[in-house]
Amino acid sequence: MPALWAASFRHLLRHPAQLALALVGLSLGVATIIAVDIATASSRRAFELSMDAVNGAATHQIVGGPQGIDERLYAELRTHDLVPGELQPDLAPVVEGYVTVGDREMQLIGVDPLASAELGVPGGLQGDEGQNERVAALGKWFTERGAVVMAAGVAKQLGVARGKHFDIDVGGVQYPAVLISEIRDDGAAYDTLLLTDIAQAQEWLGRVGKLSRIDVRVPAGSVGEAMVARLRQRLPVDVQLHDARGRTRESLDMTRAFTTNLKAMSLLALLVSTLLIYGAISFAVVQRRRVIGILRALGATRSEVLAIVLTEAAALGVVGAAIGLGLGLLIGHELITLVSRTINDLYFVVAVRETTLPVSSVVKALLGGFFTALAAALLPALEVAGSAPQLGLRRSVLEERAVHIARRLIIVSAVLAASAGIVVLVSGRSLFAGFAALFLLLLSVAAVTPAVLRGLARAAANFAGRASPIARLAFGDIAASLSRTGVAVAALGMAVAAMIGVSIMVESFRESLREWLGNTIQADAYVTAPGPGAGRPERRIEPGVMARVLATAGIGDHSESRQVIVESPNGPVPLTALQLPRTGQSALQFVAGDAAHAWPDFKEGAVIIAEPLAWRLQLRVGDKLPLSTASGVQTFRVAAIYREYGNDRGNVLMSLAQYRRLWHDDEITAMGIYLAPGAQPAAVIAQMRAAVRGGQALLFASNADIRALSMSIFERTFVITRVLNWLAAGVAAVGLISSLLAWELERSHELAIVRSIGLTPFGAAALIEAQTGFMGLVALVAAIPAGLLTAIVLTDVINRRAFGWQIDLHLTATQFTDALSLALVAALAAGLYPAWRTATASIAGDIREE
Amino acid sequence: MVKSAWLAVMLTGAAWAAGPLPEEGVFGNAARGGGFAQVLEPRAFEFPRDHGPHPEYRQEWWYVTGNLDSSGGERFGFELTFFRFALAPEEVVHPAQPVAAGVESSWRTGQIYMAHFAITDAAHKQFRFMQKLSRGAVGLAGVRNPPLHVWIDDWSLGTIDPEGTHWTLRAAERGYELVLDAQVLQPPVLNGEQGFSRKSNDPGSASYYYSIPRVAVRGRVVRDGKPLEVQGLAWVDREWGSGSLSSAEQGWDWFALQLQDGTALMFYSLRNHDGSRDPNSAGTWISAAGLSRRLASDEVQIDVLDYWKNPRGDRYPAHWRVRVPTEGIDVDVRPVLANQELLTSARYWEGAVDVTGASAGQKTAGRGYVELVGYAAQ
Repeated sequence: MPALWAASFRHLLRHPAQLALALVGLSLGVATIIAVDIATASSRRAFELSMDAVNGAATHQIVGGPQGIDERLYAELRTHDLVPGELQPDLAPVVEGYVTVGDREMQLIGVDPLASAELGVPGGLQGDEGQNERVAALGKWFTERGAVVMAAGVAKQLGVARGKHFDIDVGGVQYPAVLISEIRDDGAAYDTLLLTDIAQAQEWLGRVGKLSRIDVRVPAGSVGEAMVARLRQRLPVDVQLHDARGRTRESLDMTRAFTTNLKAMSLLALLVSTLLIYGAISFAVVQRRRVIGILRALGATRSEVLAIVLTEAAALGVVGAAIGLGLGLLIGHELITLVSRTINDLYFVVAVRETTLPVSSVVKALLGGFFTALAAALLPALEVAGSAPQLGLRRSVLEERAVHIARRLIIVSAVLAASAGIVVLVSGRSLFAGFAALFLLLLSVAAVTPAVLRGLARAAANFAGRASPIARLAFGDIAASLSRTGVAVAALGMAVAAMIGVSIMVESFRESLREWLGNTIQADAYVTAPGPGAGRPERRIEPGVMARVLATAGIGDHSESRQVIVESPNGPVPLTALQLPRTGQSALQFVAGDAAHAWPDFKEGAVIIAEPLAWRLQLRVGDKLPLSTASGVQTFRVAAIYREYGNDRGNVLMSLAQYRRLWHDDEITAMGIYLAPGAQPAAVIAQMRAAVRGGQALLFASNADIRALSMSIFERTFVITRVLNWLAAGVAAVGLISSLLAWELERSHELAIVRSIGLTPFGAAALIEAQTGFMGLVALVAAIPAGLLTAIVLTDVINRRAFGWQIDLHLTATQFTDALSLALVAALAAGLYPAWRTATASIAGDIREE
Repeated sequence: MVKSAWLAVMLTGAAWAAGPLPEEGVFGNAARGGGFAQVLEPRAFEFPRDHGPHPEYRQEWWYVTGNLDSSGGERFGFELTFFRFALAPEEVVHPAQPVAAGVESSWRTGQIYMAHFAITDAAHKQFRFMQKLSRGAVGLAGVRNPPLHVWIDDWSLGTIDPEGTHWTLRAAERGYELVLDAQVLQPPVLNGEQGFSRKSNDPGSASYYYSIPRVAVRGRVVRDGKPLEVQGLAWVDREWGSGSLSSAEQGWDWFALQLQDGTALMFYSLRNHDGSRDPNSAGTWISAAGLSRRLASDEVQIDVLDYWKNPRGDRYPAHWRVRVPTEGIDVDVRPVLANQELLTSARYWEGAVDVTGASAGQKTAGRGYVELVGYAAQ
């Protein structure tokens, strides 16, 4: 029926602002999803690329603990037959660590190019122009001290030219290096890599005699399997053979909780935009009840009306998703910087240059946008198609129906809230279920909002109406137009609730962290070997330097720690080996186990583990934790569980003496300095600095510095959360503006009558602003309890399940005032244009239109 | 043979994948004079000491080729060769005063080793080769003496007895493993002027070069997991120096022929770019009693009777008439298989050959190995 389609099309064109706003809402939702996918996929891809560049065609890796692998094992494997009658597997040794060049953190990879060539890793000289240069570079690679190779682009950024000497910093020690060749590879794979000979890497990283790993390539099939089995038998107990892909995956898995959180935030944005679309389509339908009623009376069938409304929604969905895709690319590009910075802080060195957008993400976002629009339109479409032809002409019927629905929604809301509670209770450890509960909770807020709005608006009309009939009109109108106002306020309420929840969560986290830092950072000053990456063995304080530091006057006592990552049957586990003075023991807050028993046990060989690790491995006090030591896997009794926010993988604490005995590693990563009575931290730090001048560049920090640093890393981590949160709030605000605009414009006739009986232009404007302001307040009223509940779900369910740590709830006024500002600003802004229009419109014209 | 510059190319070519070959002498003049001992005059040889390494020279190799028969009557040829190449003199790689403080890595070395292993399986009409490259450090590759032990990974060559008369070798590649015991039948023969072998008129373009022309071998070839008992006759070549070919020279043809009458002939023909033979080309004739005589270039005539083209169109000589009138030698030399080309980082042809004809005027036959370098577009 062309008339029907023409009517539909015409209507959309006549309301471009409404159309645009609905599109903005949907595209923002889709864009957020795309942006988060881009940021996480790009970081992931960058990491995989650099792993591939280093691993080449390796099928397996032989890895050791923090002590590394004895290089003699490698020679032994190469010179002795593995499977008689079969060729040897390809083997290549790697010594790697993190270093700093200028202000750039890089991964130093020491390889033996002759062995790496077998595994398809060219060692970095493949890009040279001619064979002569390659040969010359090979000679330098082996014989020139400090010879390194890096990507041409990186060299340019660092201002390093071929043949030029520059310094690299390894854990605070400067070494001279010289660029002998450049990798002419446009890809991002080499962006963080600094390649050098294995001998040079051993010397720089203090790993002489040791290998970080041995890359292995075995042929596919039964021969390869036989080799792997024989290889396992041949390996000493302190090293393990891993599947190479699994190894990359394990590293990436470390970031999983972090990326899951990001994705949940993006889903939240889409959820908010679902309500937006619902609002926009509802209005579009409501505004056309008259036309649709006429068309129905003229013979248009229900299914035709249904089809046309759904088609509109689908078109809206497709266009919105397409715009969202483009917008998502833009936002995603910005988000990459934030995400990769967080990953560098917390996990591993990665430089993201190329934007990766998985096809699956595009499909997901487009389908998501499309079906979101369809789902949102389904209810209004069914409603308008279901109404009888002549009734379609009357608005009062619709409003009656809206009141009924609002009442029914109270029950729905209760059911949703109860479901949220049940999901939390029965889902155990599932993070996904945690998010599901969160969404149920927010939907429950949305469902109850129209009823709350009606009730409050009626009460306000009664109360204020005694003073002024205009006020009665203003508030009464809100209650009477529930079909429009209810949806808008519900959307805003949900967004505000989410915002309150997230800001309470962040604030609670921040306060818990601050408190924890206050307890944990007990030494007066800390001395650390600097460098990127946590638990890197090359971060070590040189023994001579340590003695010089400790000879400084004013030091009363000190602690020593070695921070490494050890292998375990459960994957890599961060371990801190500690030697604490007695006063330092109170630094740990136990959440399970008691200090009176735990510390003596600790001395006897038990471990104290962090809450996140206990959560991840489901360990309790008294359980056994297996770790791969230099003499094979050994189990350690868990003496206590302590509170820890520093590491979401969870840390294991062990006595330094035991660690040294079991891992043959005598290095120290950091020292805590306890001052003698009367000594001034600043003065002692200055003296310690002076004591090591000219040697290793150690990090000296007072406990206040450490706290400030930790807090700033925390803030950086949550920048993304906050950006997304504001984005979701932005979507809601736009939605509110869109809804109210449509509503207010539709009432222009009514307002013209009120003006004609004496309301001044200013009065009319004030009336509209009062209405929208009131709605903003109602959204806030609904959002505050919901926001609190959201915060509880976020801290106690989501954070616990994602990271394993417990956060104490901290409430502050700003969390609520921010929400108040958002709700009011959005609501008042939404009223501005209608207020101005009403104040300046020609009364006669508006009345005549009727 | 003199493989210095060529060796450098092979090393780097292997390390950095195939690419165009550089001009000769890439390591260049710096390396030629740069701190390595030079081969300028004859020296006194002493065995078994000289079976071992001479690290003061830039390059050196241990070269074994041989012909084998299985107990089932199958014919095999083999080549197992180890090269040592110094990228820089030891005092440059390991200065007396370490550049940076701290412990030095045992991976630090300028010594690079390369090995080639090839099997010619006449019955299966199959030729297979493999290359290994390694640094001479942390036990991955190296040379010890006495007793001699040269190895890369699980390939090795060496002597069991300190005197150096009983040798063993072992290597494996896809489908073939070779394990041999070897008994030296004749003492080492010094080639050139008492072992001083000139390659061109350039000073330093020479090497110290000796051969063990008759070595009885016995052992097994394991083909696709099935062991075959084999025995036969091998030839050992040893050479070291620091120089390279002259720029006029393009490559060489090397013949090592073992005749049934107990005599043996070694000759290398150095080819110039213009196709002429360099007058420094030379050889050695060895009597059945092990007495040797130096052969000058003009004493040996070689006529190419046929050619073989590899799939890329490079043309190699493939059938020769070799005449040494002063020794009454006139033999026909034919490859056992046409394709015995090693497509290693540098491409060359090295293969088992059959010999028929006359020696000292008497009808004879024999076997041997021929090496052809500088024919393939690299």
